[in-house]
Amino acid sequence: MEKRRKWMLLSLCIPAFLLIFIFMIVPLGNAVKVSFFKWNGYSQKMRWVGLENYGSIFTDKVFLRSTANTFIYGFGSTLLQNIAGLSAALFVNRQFKGRNLVRLILYMPIMISGVIMGAIQYYIFNYDNGVLNNLLNLFGIGNIYWMESGIGSVLIITLINSWQAMGFCMLIYLAGLQNIPKMYEEAALLDGTSRRQIFFKIDLPLLMPAITTAVITNLIGGFKLYDIIVTLTNGGPNRKSLSLSYYISLLYFNDEKAGYSAAVGIALFIIIFIVAVPINQYLRSREVEY
Amino acid sequence: MKTEKSDKVVMAQVHAPNKKVGWGVYVISAFLILLYLLPIYVMLNQSFRYITDLTPRLYLPEKWTFDNYIQAFHDPNLLNGFKNSIVYVAEVCALEVFLGGLAAYGLARSGGKVSSALRTFNICVMMIPSLSLLVGTYSLMVKFHMINKIWALSLQTAAIGMAGTMFFYTSFIVSIPKDLDQAAAIDGAGILRTFFQIILPQLKPVTVTRLIMIAVGTWNNYAMPTYLLTNTNKATVILTVRKAFYTAYGSVQNVPLACAECAVALAPVILLYLLLQKYIIEGQLDSVSK
Repeated sequence: MEKRRKWMLLSLCIPAFLLIFIFMIVPLGNAVKVSFFKWNGYSQKMRWVGLENYGSIFTDKVFLRSTANTFIYGFGSTLLQNIAGLSAALFVNRQFKGRNLVRLILYMPIMISGVIMGAIQYYIFNYDNGVLNNLLNLFGIGNIYWMESGIGSVLIITLINSWQAMGFCMLIYLAGLQNIPKMYEEAALLDGTSRRQIFFKIDLPLLMPAITTAVITNLIGGFKLYDIIVTLTNGGPNRKSLSLSYYISLLYFNDEKAGYSAAVGIALFIIIFIVAVPINQYLRSREVEY
Repeated sequence: MKTEKSDKVVMAQVHAPNKKVGWGVYVISAFLILLYLLPIYVMLNQSFRYITDLTPRLYLPEKWTFDNYIQAFHDPNLLNGFKNSIVYVAEVCALEVFLGGLAAYGLARSGGKVSSALRTFNICVMMIPSLSLLVGTYSLMVKFHMINKIWALSLQTAAIGMAGTMFFYTSFIVSIPKDLDQAAAIDGAGILRTFFQIILPQLKPVTVTRLIMIAVGTWNNYAMPTYLLTNTNKATVILTVRKAFYTAYGSVQNVPLACAECAVALAPVILLYLLLQKYIIEGQLDSVSK
């Protein structure tokens, strides 16, 4: 009877996993298959090339550049968002009038699509009549070409992405701070511990679970970055600010290299896996019980 | 030498850590609010300008006009985009919450090796970047005539988010006492009835939060819709607005109109955010602290 019930319970999973199977596992298998072929994406002709697509990854300058960018988007955003998010959480955790308003406004950009955000931010970082340059002009500084170089564009994309998604970290840390039992702090204060020490010795270790969640979510999000780039730089100048996600779509739809695009897709999956799993494992091992 | 504080003072410090906030807090608050509202300001500012108004974007328009909004409201594509987006969001929400919740119930309650294997599988699936599946998904969807079909895109989007939704629900269902199920089972309730009458009501608050997150993510989804919905009739709001900006880069350069379309597209999202802020922010805080 128990056994029958157990299998009936498991059968409830079938529709959900069927959907995952049809729309994720089958396409993944198909992508692996396509990655062994030379194919333009629409013709009937597909030529088997074995591992050639994977081999050309290592000599493709745009791929290497996009990979470096993807790492900057991933790690850069994670670093900025966690520092800013923790600071913001500590700030709005203070008792003052209007803290809920600050919290509300800081979280708001998360509701806005990255494509739209990129399009608007373009008019802030634009060379000609951009708002940032307008501001600098007030102080007598001439216009600066913010997105002239590849690295400038990459840093600005990282900055905007971190700015936009920071609210998520803030909420995670806020929840973490509110969950720390007050008695630890009381005890420490009675012992004459300074606020600084309380933060580093009590709050931060107890925030480890929150840090794990925030870091892993930000990392995976940053490695998948796509939307902002489309409207802010369109991958430019000269394909120097591409993320791997965006490169995959350009390879497929612009360059008509479906096989190679599939290979880059598999490479991106492997990169995310290799980066996220050990970091997750490490952070989990640092979590303390209380 | 350590200064001795009386216990009373210390306790007062713990319970109202920052009762006396200086004006510095308000300066920082004001700065943060300005920093986070700047893009909205830039967008609105542009949308009220004449196309010929080339005064610095930082300042208010030289002459105000509502023409851009009138034009945006008369744009059949934008209206149609709203309709398509609503259908798309509703389908994805229904699929993910219903199938994901059901599957999570099965996973959480059945226990054993199969269940834990499926949960590990879920975590791996969550790491697959959706762009890695681009070639695999697109070529299969072309083959099975699923391009320009909103239902097909909905199934695909729901599949991508399903693992996350299952993961989210599983952690909540685990915290619902098993006695409730067993009591229902003794009363002769089947598994499905137990789910709908016992479990689902318990999940109501977290479902609201999850629904909002799915809805926002789906509404803002860009990469897959742009390739799977190529027909203008089928475009979502985000695709339509992105197109308006795209023409803005090209020959027409109608930035004010694009910004007006953008404002119209963002208005419902921001409005809902302000109305549902309690569920979004408090809900997020609660769901993290579980």
